[in-house]
Amino acid sequence: MSDSTRRDFLKTSALVGGGLLTADFAALARAALAADPVPTMSIARWDEAELAAANLTAAAVGLTEAAIASLGGMDRFVNKGETVWIKPNIGWNRRPELAANTNPDVVGALVRMCLAAGAKTVKVGDHPCHPARQAYRNSGIAKVVEATGGRMIYLDEKRYKDMPLGGEFLKEWPVYLEVAEADLVINVPILKHHGLTGCSVAMKNYMGVIGGNRSAWHQNMEACLADITRFMKPRITVLDAVRVLTDHGPQGGDPDDVEVRGIVAAGTDIVAIDAFGATLLGHRPEDIGHIAGAAKRGLGTLDFASLKPVEKILS
Amino acid sequence: MSAVQRARRIIWIRRSVQVVVLAAFLYLLTANRPADGAAPSAPVDLFFDLNPLVMISSWLATRTLAGISLLGLLTLVVTLVFGRVFCGWFCPLGTLHNAVGSLRNQFRRVVKRTEEFSRWQRAKFYVLVALLVMTALGAQWVGVLDPFSLLYRSVSLTVLPAGDIAVSAMSNGIYLADPHLGPWHLRDLTEPFYRWWQERVTSTELRVFSGTSAVFLIFAAALLLNLVRNHFWCRYLCPLGGMLGLVAARPLLRLTSDPAQCNSCHKCTLACPAAAQPEKPDEWLATECFGCWNCVGSCSNQGLDFKWIPPLKKTSAGTVDLGKRRVLTSAVGGVAALSMMRITPAANAKTFNPALIRPPGARAEPDFLQRCVKCGLCMQTCPSGGLQPTWAEAGLEGLWSPVLVPAIGWCEFECHACGQVCPTEAIAPLPLPEKKKVKIGLAVFDTTRCLPFAFGRECIVCEEHCPVPDKAITFEMRDATDREGNVSTIKFPRVDPERCTGCGICETKCVFKDLAAIRVVSANEDRHPDNQPILSGGYSYEDSGNEAGETPYGY
Repeated sequence: MSDSTRRDFLKTSALVGGGLLTADFAALARAALAADPVPTMSIARWDEAELAAANLTAAAVGLTEAAIASLGGMDRFVNKGETVWIKPNIGWNRRPELAANTNPDVVGALVRMCLAAGAKTVKVGDHPCHPARQAYRNSGIAKVVEATGGRMIYLDEKRYKDMPLGGEFLKEWPVYLEVAEADLVINVPILKHHGLTGCSVAMKNYMGVIGGNRSAWHQNMEACLADITRFMKPRITVLDAVRVLTDHGPQGGDPDDVEVRGIVAAGTDIVAIDAFGATLLGHRPEDIGHIAGAAKRGLGTLDFASLKPVEKILS
Repeated sequence: MSAVQRARRIIWIRRSVQVVVLAAFLYLLTANRPADGAAPSAPVDLFFDLNPLVMISSWLATRTLAGISLLGLLTLVVTLVFGRVFCGWFCPLGTLHNAVGSLRNQFRRVVKRTEEFSRWQRAKFYVLVALLVMTALGAQWVGVLDPFSLLYRSVSLTVLPAGDIAVSAMSNGIYLADPHLGPWHLRDLTEPFYRWWQERVTSTELRVFSGTSAVFLIFAAALLLNLVRNHFWCRYLCPLGGMLGLVAARPLLRLTSDPAQCNSCHKCTLACPAAAQPEKPDEWLATECFGCWNCVGSCSNQGLDFKWIPPLKKTSAGTVDLGKRRVLTSAVGGVAALSMMRITPAANAKTFNPALIRPPGARAEPDFLQRCVKCGLCMQTCPSGGLQPTWAEAGLEGLWSPVLVPAIGWCEFECHACGQVCPTEAIAPLPLPEKKKVKIGLAVFDTTRCLPFAFGRECIVCEEHCPVPDKAITFEMRDATDREGNVSTIKFPRVDPERCTGCGICETKCVFKDLAAIRVVSANEDRHPDNQPILSGGYSYEDSGNEAGETPYGY
């Protein structure tokens, strides 16, 4: 990391020198951007030809590790001694094969990487729609997290605190204190169809860090999700599209609605990740109200291709 | 070793057994908290299986042994040999009475008058007769007074939630205020305890029950009556004690006294918790005695001892004369009570209460009430907390039986715990795939509240939560016009009665918290063909994407 920083510095200095000589500041800015070696998005895909025969557990782990490595490794996001909250989607009391919750092996891989990067504690938790104990267990996430050294946290209804979202629509809303206090929150959604919003990706996943009458958000999902996203200041988002729920979301329940895609994407721009997810489900990102709305509000870009995602194909 | 020394040793063994059994009762009660899987794995209804009153009354009510545990026979055999030791050594409610009684004895001198046999102790036999007569006519009201049902119901529905609220308030208060001295935070101590409490004792979601003040008051009264008489409940009221007393009329192990040694000091009278007349040679009452050995241990002159007596020998025991007329009166009382409970339209299936939503697998109402012992196991294990004790919904006959209140919690799709833990199969122990098919009611919209209908706003929360894989709530795109005349096309929800199981999660999660805009009624419940307004046919559950026969929770 320090090496590349020094190299960046030298490169930038050279460019600045050259730029000053020619005094072409616009070109300078373009060049500085082009020279940026820190990727903002990565996509890891399992070779489609091999997908049917793949061991999905190993694939999910490999894809997650590859996506994070392409992004510069977990060290870029986690500092020694920090507390990390991993926020998968554990909304439902459903088995992993039904693709209603984040893939447990993706979560497990992230827990391991955070601990390896020096995190003091890695907490994993969600505010499920179904009973937490059953959802945590049936999703397979509790077992993997316990095995990898993370801690499953049951959210306590008394520990949501009204927080000043200062949003355009929501001025204040109860957010889970422990999540807000964490040094880093890693948003790990699963890609799903959604009956109201068309698709549920990362921004929608933030509904699991809030309390209050969550159901009311459906009346203005676009503004509410933009407000919570701005409040959460996402630094890293990891999209699980190993299995994807294509219909009857967000809860699903029918194996026929599940498609194995073998993709994990990671990035620093949550809107770009959401837009990428939308395209995987066959939508145009601009057609998905809350994703387009977030881009309009300056929370990120719909044009994820402009971020030049680092692509890797595994098999 | 003298009789007194041996008795004192036995008394200590008895106390240890009592503590262990009470602990086991409470452990199995907490093991019945909402499970990580589809049902608890521990034998949480073991105590009810051992209860001969539940066994006999269930058999009397249903005339079948199907679904009824025969472990109660073991208790009866033990009683035939040793007398009412079940009451003195085993019954966890008896142990609590013991504890309260000992506490009382610390502060008040025990006087002979209150510890001598009273003819009112026959009341428990009349209670038993009345209850069994009711049961034989099909009303299982035994559970209201059965000691295990009473204790289980009281602890799980009132004491444990109260404890949970106290622990949660203290832990959360310390967590939020975070008092600390340098690097030492008080919450580093309280948090691990709170986590243990939630994960091993109660539940991660607070579960509270409505209409339980009566449950608690009766429990408190039963304990406080020890201030009037030691073991008041066991001596005067307990129908299980009455039944075991009748079985124990001529046990093999009997109290014998040596009149030559008796100086009429009445230490044994004062020591006897059961008022079983140990002081009267040849008039010791086996129907009352708990076999606790206190009297033997209290005798300064070694005048008392328990001895094996051949079963047919009629000496060495007094008898309690129940009186034929009194027994008959009790039976008539039972018939009267039953008739009075049944003089309602609902009890005769003339009307159906829309709020009486029974758990999945519950038998048709008369059959259900023949089996339900109102113990509260199903409510204690329900993960959403939606199973509540009835108050008036099922009439007096169904008092404290389980009803699903979707405003509080729903019937979880991937769960069949209530049927698995029910000790009498009032709720059938359906395999999970079978349980998922059961219709317990029907969701209906209140279009004066539902957002798209009443306010022209989009919502979809009910559809999102509907657990049926291909959704029992679907949408119709319709135009909604706002006050400025702008037209937008939004989703209007509709219930498909063929697919709706009445699980109630739509009502629980509805954005309206005072009175949901979608509510579940008992209509369409599988168990009552007369309560099914929707003509059904052509829809096969297996076509819906549900996987019949598959076992979930592989993780």
